[in-house]
Amino acid sequence: MTAADALYVYGVVPGDTTPDLFAGVDGMADGPVRLVGADGVAAIASSVPLTEFDTDALEQNLKDGEWLEQKVRAHNRVLAAAVGKATVLPLRFGAIYTGEDHVRTMLGERSELEQQLARLEGLLEFGVKAVLDPGVLRARLAESRGGAADEGSGRAYMLRKQLERELDREVRSFAARCAEASHECLSAAAVEARANPAQAPEVAGGEMVLNGAYLVGSGRQAGLRRAVDELKARYGEDGVTYELTGPWPPYNFADEEPAA
Amino acid sequence: MSSPSPALQQEVTLVELVDRVLNKGVALTGDITLSVAGVDLVYVGLRVLLASVSTLEQLDAE
Repeated sequence: MTAADALYVYGVVPGDTTPDLFAGVDGMADGPVRLVGADGVAAIASSVPLTEFDTDALEQNLKDGEWLEQKVRAHNRVLAAAVGKATVLPLRFGAIYTGEDHVRTMLGERSELEQQLARLEGLLEFGVKAVLDPGVLRARLAESRGGAADEGSGRAYMLRKQLERELDREVRSFAARCAEASHECLSAAAVEARANPAQAPEVAGGEMVLNGAYLVGSGRQAGLRRAVDELKARYGEDGVTYELTGPWPPYNFADEEPAA
Repeated sequence: MSSPSPALQQEVTLVELVDRVLNKGVALTGDITLSVAGVDLVYVGLRVLLASVSTLEQLDAE
């Protein structure tokens, strides 16, 4: 590290974690990922050039989608190297320090980091997204109502409009029921659970009814998988697809205070 | 429902990553801090990168 460098901190691990976990893992920039320890905890860190990471450079770089994608992937890649091998407390993007002594001071001042690590010990985060294809559900609902009215007549037009409105309502009510039941079923297989805001349809590829994160004991993933399979069996024919991702570093459960 | 193309799949994964890395995790104030303008710029970059309305909405709510 030179005067032209700063230290980027990815996350925090217990002080007895072996740095070997990060050997050969590519960080934000050239140079190894290492541990900077103090008081029973250690920061996962690597040197980054100030030409890229000081305040002015950051402001410019953050506008660059490609740069941001690279750095977001690097942030996750480093933390992911320790998932399942050590307890990892992820930091939010952008914790940058001018020297190791500053990192140690921060670790010493933040006793809650150690408490957070203790809370997350032996636990893994998984994500489950449920996306509804409204077309499939509408077709199914319409079919269960029987045949359509005769085409052409004014009355048929009115009936069709009315049917459309009723179907809209039923789809909305189904989505709400499905979201609640899915989150409940998955939460029952988890130690802690969070339901995040749905992603936009352009991104989700349909109407996202659930964007959940689940904290599960390592070795207990089978229970969550079973819950996902159960939901697929229950709602699959209605046009709902489920996607399970993980294990992730526990980003969603690294709040400074437990969510209400 | 047809399965998403590999390119789309990758994009969805990126959305998940971005949601987690930029919005979650313990927020510490380091020596080099992003100004409020800087945080906004993250979302300018993101807007270029993906059309994640939920992420933008989260920013608006903060």
